[in-house]
Amino acid sequence: MTPKPLSDLNVMVCGQGGDGSVTLVSLLGDLLRARGFHLFEARDVGSRVKGGSAAACLRASLERRAGLGDRFDLLVAFDGEAVARGGPLLAEHGIVVYDGSDGHPDRTRLPARATVLEVPFGRLAVRDLRRDLFKNGTAFGVVARLVGASDEEAEAALRRQLRRLQPRVVDANVEALRQGFDYAAALGVANGNAPWTLAAGPPRTRVLITGNQAVAFGFLAAGGRFFAGYPITPATEILEWLSKRLPAFGGLAVQAEDELSAINMALGAAMTGTRAMTASSGPGIALMQESISHLGSAEIGLVVVDCQRAGPSTGMPTKPEQSDLDMLAHGASGDFPRIVLVPSDPRDAFELTVLATNLAERYQGPVYVALDQAVAQDSVTVDRFDLEAVTVERGKLLDEAGLHELDEYARYRVTDDGLSPWVPLGLPGGQHLVTGNEHDEWGLVSAAPANRVQQVEKRARKLETVRPDLPRATQLGDPAGRIGLIGFGMETGAMGEAAEHLAATGMTVKQLRPRTLWPVLEDVHEFVASCERTYVVEHNATAQYAHLLASEGIPLDRLVSILRYDGVPFRPQELAARILHCEAEVAAA
Amino acid sequence: MTATYTPAAPIWCSGCGHYGVLGALRGAIADLGIPAHELVTLAGIGCSGTIQNYLGTYGYHALHGRVLPTATGVALANPDLTVIAAGGDGDGYAIGAGHLVHAFRRNASVAYVVMSNETYGLTKGQLSPTRPTEHGRLDAVAMGLAIASTTFVARGYGGWSEQLRRLVRQALEHVRARQGFAFVEVISPCVTYWDTYSHWDQALYDLDADDAYDPSDRAAAFALTQELAAAGRLPAGLVYRAPALVPAELPCPARAAIEPGPLLPAYEAILDEYAAAG
Repeated sequence: MTPKPLSDLNVMVCGQGGDGSVTLVSLLGDLLRARGFHLFEARDVGSRVKGGSAAACLRASLERRAGLGDRFDLLVAFDGEAVARGGPLLAEHGIVVYDGSDGHPDRTRLPARATVLEVPFGRLAVRDLRRDLFKNGTAFGVVARLVGASDEEAEAALRRQLRRLQPRVVDANVEALRQGFDYAAALGVANGNAPWTLAAGPPRTRVLITGNQAVAFGFLAAGGRFFAGYPITPATEILEWLSKRLPAFGGLAVQAEDELSAINMALGAAMTGTRAMTASSGPGIALMQESISHLGSAEIGLVVVDCQRAGPSTGMPTKPEQSDLDMLAHGASGDFPRIVLVPSDPRDAFELTVLATNLAERYQGPVYVALDQAVAQDSVTVDRFDLEAVTVERGKLLDEAGLHELDEYARYRVTDDGLSPWVPLGLPGGQHLVTGNEHDEWGLVSAAPANRVQQVEKRARKLETVRPDLPRATQLGDPAGRIGLIGFGMETGAMGEAAEHLAATGMTVKQLRPRTLWPVLEDVHEFVASCERTYVVEHNATAQYAHLLASEGIPLDRLVSILRYDGVPFRPQELAARILHCEAEVAAA
Repeated sequence: MTATYTPAAPIWCSGCGHYGVLGALRGAIADLGIPAHELVTLAGIGCSGTIQNYLGTYGYHALHGRVLPTATGVALANPDLTVIAAGGDGDGYAIGAGHLVHAFRRNASVAYVVMSNETYGLTKGQLSPTRPTEHGRLDAVAMGLAIASTTFVARGYGGWSEQLRRLVRQALEHVRARQGFAFVEVISPCVTYWDTYSHWDQALYDLDADDAYDPSDRAAAFALTQELAAAGRLPAGLVYRAPALVPAELPCPARAAIEPGPLLPAYEAILDEYAAAG
């Protein structure tokens, strides 16, 4: 057969949790990354430690793609359940590598023209290598042959990925890999006789990283030195990352007894002038709401990360959603300013967390960084972060000399820009009172009507002061486009590719990826005003983002909501089809 | 000299036990000569949650029940500060009870003064967790003794000012020596809703008057709390103090370097870990 050139490969590896699907994806990803491919790696797992059907997915493409494509080209199935799950998503001419240890796959689940290669990985690994886990090495051998990689580059990738293991374990895996080569040859896929030939791009200095890692790194680079959190999916990696890294920089990460404690520890640290952060997911952020409002009233700067998962309540812990938007923009008691930033990929997450850390201290209030599970946990190759561009901006934080220039120091001094100079706890001569109760300029509790109005308005002015510095949206596509697409976070990858499909049908489209969710900035107003119709793509059931926009004066009748809340990200063609369907309805009307 | 806030006058009723606590705090701070700027007084919600306004130190008014997490955050971020947490028994033993257990366990250097009056005074007289009912009363001193990492447990009485001042001073010395969490429960009667002075004048067992009492013997201390409880009494005095330890080196995140310039090589090295392979 004529080998098919490969520049965009979608792979699903599926088995029971603990089978090592993620390992196989990492191995293949490493091999393809060395060829200059962009990577997108996602997991689709249940909320349990081991067992249960679990899939790891990989997209490797020479062109940058921030999400899975429409169909899988390759399915590695460790059991029958994996065939049932991945089969319907397989491309027409896709290839299935099936672990035939316990029999044959159910062909009715697969496209008629799919190729099936049966390899008893599990049985081989146990028989020859005495351990079921080595089946990943064997499977990688077969897969490497399929994509047309040389045996040498496959072995190099394996050795790179296993470099932290003991030599004898690595040797056993290399043996498993070679067994995989032999099996591939026996099935007719000899070296140089692959169904695909692998393209190669220029070597890149990209990083492969998740949104959670990027948020934690951004916080560290921005001078964040205190973190408190409580374990929760899908935010826990931030706690783990900072627990490991902060001590080397004189900082500290604390695992609190609950989310109430986590946010209050963090705000306590913030008052000492230590840049502080907490992170959680919807249920934990809900517990923190009283403290969010306290940050607003007591004017304490803190970064709060929400890695959104499907709600309500405990919801679907491992599935992505964007259904905390109402809580982030409007949750908690009383009126107070807050900022919500929404990154779309790890590089964006890094940059926005640096910005959030600066903003929190500058405007002295809560700054949310809102991810969804996909942005939080998927691994993506992005350009190296620009560390030299990181700055530390501390706003009106006074040191001893600055304090002594003042005749009097009142923590909540009413100023034109709403921002009061402040000192960290412990500065000689700077003693002051901090409270969430309504207070006078000195921090003494006061319910006097005129003072109350003055303090509410002072706090509100702070948001206007920093508004020019809030990150603006990224606009893509034909500026003259009639049809607009708005989405952030996990939507941006599928939205970008859907726009290409739509453009191919002759539609003129443009896209907007907001980076500030709240307050709604003029960039969104202008974008909607410039479109005949704007599709708002979001993962929730009630069009929360569209309603936030409407609440800020954007006409709802110019917006069309494309919603999804089944815990599954959009694929590009599906999204394009939903939009085309709506367009057809408009045309018919 | 930059002028700062003028401490307020207490809002408490005449005769409130909290005045005794305020006096003991002022006295202990004076005894130790601690500069005001080194002290952070964090207080909870309730009548007792105004005490930070009266001292002239750095003061913070916590959310209801959260004074210990916030105080812990302050103490961990800047161990050079002397951190005093204060509040009532509703704040500390009801809405905030979950944090108290972990404050004992974590043993961060915070002095925690609980003004226990068996009632919710500010909301006008509801029952709090220390009020004896058919379910018994919550004894946080005994609870603290039962937690392995506890280092300092004391009980004072608003009516016994000399002992109370000494206990608060010992608690402050404990945290300033970085020995960990110092817990002082103060029986501080509410003259308006639950006046118990005459009861506690009789029912407290003064440990200072017991020459045989050894505050380093945790098991004996616990046994005594149980013995007294059976008779409706409570011990007052230094109940337990762990042997002094050489304090561990603590990080001071508040003083950590954060300017990115000199740290760039270290940050780049982290980034390199994600750039491996290709």
